[in-house]
Amino acid sequence: MAGALEGLKVVELGEMVSAPYAAKLMADAGAEVIKIERPQIGDRARTRGPFPADSPHPEKSGLFLYLNTNKLGVTLDVTRPEGFAVLEKLAATADVLVHNVAPPEMDRIGLSYDRLRRLNSKLVMTSILPFGLSGPYRDYQAEDLTIWCAGGVCVLNGGGPEHPELPPLKTFGQQAGYQGGVHGATATMGAVIAALRDGVGQHVDVSVQESIASILEMTFEFWPYLGAIATRVGQKPIQPLETLEAKDGYIYVCCVEEHQWRNLVHMMGDPEWADWEIFANRLTRAANWDALKPMLQEYVGQHTVLELYQTAQSRRVPFAPVSTMADLLGSEHLKARGFFVEIAQPVAGTHKYPGAPVKYSRTPWEIRRPAPTLGQHNQEIFGNRLGLSAERLTELSRKGVI
Amino acid sequence: MAKAPLDGIRVADFTWVWAGPYCTLQLAHLGAEVIRIETRTRPCVTRQLPPWPDNQMGLNRSGYFNQYNQGKKSLTLNFKHPEALEAARKLVACSDIVTNNFAAGVMERLGFGFEDCKKLRSDIIMISLSGYGDTGPYHDYVAYGPAQVPLSGLSSLTGYKGWPPMHAGFSYADPNGGVHGAFAVLTALYNRAKTGEGQYIDMSQWECAMGLLAEGILEYTMNGREPERSGNLDPFMSPHGVFRCLDLPERIADVVIDQWVSIVCADDHQWLRLTRAIGKPELAADARFMTLADRKRNEDALEAIVNEWTSTRRVAEVVESLQAAGVAASACADNKYLAEDPNLNARKYFVELEHPEVGVRKHCGMPWRMSATPCEVRAPGPCIGQHTDEVLTNLLGYSASEVEHLRALGALE
Repeated sequence: MAGALEGLKVVELGEMVSAPYAAKLMADAGAEVIKIERPQIGDRARTRGPFPADSPHPEKSGLFLYLNTNKLGVTLDVTRPEGFAVLEKLAATADVLVHNVAPPEMDRIGLSYDRLRRLNSKLVMTSILPFGLSGPYRDYQAEDLTIWCAGGVCVLNGGGPEHPELPPLKTFGQQAGYQGGVHGATATMGAVIAALRDGVGQHVDVSVQESIASILEMTFEFWPYLGAIATRVGQKPIQPLETLEAKDGYIYVCCVEEHQWRNLVHMMGDPEWADWEIFANRLTRAANWDALKPMLQEYVGQHTVLELYQTAQSRRVPFAPVSTMADLLGSEHLKARGFFVEIAQPVAGTHKYPGAPVKYSRTPWEIRRPAPTLGQHNQEIFGNRLGLSAERLTELSRKGVI
Repeated sequence: MAKAPLDGIRVADFTWVWAGPYCTLQLAHLGAEVIRIETRTRPCVTRQLPPWPDNQMGLNRSGYFNQYNQGKKSLTLNFKHPEALEAARKLVACSDIVTNNFAAGVMERLGFGFEDCKKLRSDIIMISLSGYGDTGPYHDYVAYGPAQVPLSGLSSLTGYKGWPPMHAGFSYADPNGGVHGAFAVLTALYNRAKTGEGQYIDMSQWECAMGLLAEGILEYTMNGREPERSGNLDPFMSPHGVFRCLDLPERIADVVIDQWVSIVCADDHQWLRLTRAIGKPELAADARFMTLADRKRNEDALEAIVNEWTSTRRVAEVVESLQAAGVAASACADNKYLAEDPNLNARKYFVELEHPEVGVRKHCGMPWRMSATPCEVRAPGPCIGQHTDEVLTNLLGYSASEVEHLRALGALE
């Protein structure tokens, strides 16, 4: 069986997370993705770990290997005119070009939709950029942390009202990149579907800052609706929604709806304090969290994580454990669903990776090939596909273009 | 004017709370007609959560609901009545996509399992957005957005050095699952255009969230180690942090508002630029900070120096001077800062449409611009049941008297 995007041809000019993740989502769903990397150096993600045995090696980066599954890899210096000409050949027969080349660099090398559309009117070109392709921050320097902050999410996390002196806290990993990637892939698919209908492609300008500002739960609206600032030092709108310490680890205590709270009260043996006026509803429990927290902590501290998780779930209260990596890899549930996938790559060896984000009934998500080694498919793509002669390839290689 | 990408695509939207509605918001943004099936007997959780203008609660007044349901229609049906189920069947029969995030088995009990929907419309695309997925021993566990962050493993990786696990500060797995679900639906639409066949998609929020922490998972599968929590630090860049600036000059609701800035130097060149930008060029020759390894070893001292400089300045001033010097810096924006952000406003990111009960309020728009098939938010979040009559009569072919009959029965509650 073929993947959902079987037949879709994608060219990726991506570094680190955002554009590579967008292209990974498409590749894992069956699209053919040709990833272009800089000759010799490759994608910057290759320099980041984790590495097996902590030994850095460009073919062994866990982040790179994860983000580039199912792709064909070529090396090409698109900053040089001869290299750009090869990029144009690739774009001429592609359905999608997705990139995260910074706008000043786009200007320097002449990468623009206007230029590529002349070669291929059906092309969808997606630019996934920290602040988008317009606006006063267009040319700003940016890294994952600074974009996560600019999108308004980092300020929501940290030491809470008890520790206002601690800085806003980033969420683990490269989260701005992932959100730019998945929102960019979504917009790209919209444009691809429009291109099937209309017979013409277009340019899609995706802002990572906006992707993050789009997922702020109800917090953004506190300003336009109430003139209030919502940050980590404020009170939560409802409670309990907190991590508490159980006998043998951490458990997340969670009651969103009132019936869940009532079930939790029964689970705790209907303590007298649960009838106090100050805990009457989720809003007052939030206002009186100082008083409620020790009560809950006392109960939680007497039980193990597993007891709490399963007892709460049996009463339809959505508790969850604070999973460690070992918990995830050992989870019977995830094993039964076959979530983790083992991928063998010749240099890095065989490891387990996160697998499919969704399960399709008819068009399977599957790993058809591991991430490419640097320039692995140069001959196949440049020689066999584009028909560049052996002499020309040698020459480009000598000049460092490929 | 060109049509939006999903013009003519209809979604029978059984979702509620946040993950499902965030999925269908993407489809609405792309031009699909999204018809949310709601009931007054159990209104959407987000209709009952703040913020409400003047703190006056009302089902149509929540900023939370209004943010994530822009551009959608609301049809109220009470499934206790067979007539309501019949109306929903008619809706599915003329829809392209069916979405839901009910607990396992609910759609089947209502008669809207995938096989049922396929009988109503042979090429239907259906997605179920659940916490744990449709299969596996925990498939009927209850999941709520905030609890999915710790469940996913993100919490155990997030936190200040030496501190307990922390949250992400919001129900991150909800929108993340929703947008991954939207992407999957679009791939299925593409496939339907090529093959003529629909399909069923089983999305687990837990699994979508684990796709965001590959670095942590691979640290474990490659090296058998749980990564240590390290606050805002990064092993390959230094400085890499969030630093205090001057508080907001005015109080908001009688509270002093603290302000912070994020600063990152990705390499030695950027570190040199930073030393000049903060007026301490002598640091360039300071042995404690020459290389990444040096800066990582002396990171506390380094952060103290940066913090001393930022703490006497306003955020905007810090960002402008560091960006002018070529250093990555950005405000750690709160909601007020975001609403006033020059870049977001220049790009016309915010949507300000007149809503019958809350008037004109700023809402976040969509994170993309398309050059040929412009996408726009066509309407504010719907009032509950606002489109019931319109959908029943114009789309499903009920006469006015039939609608009145349904209403009298209570089927439209």
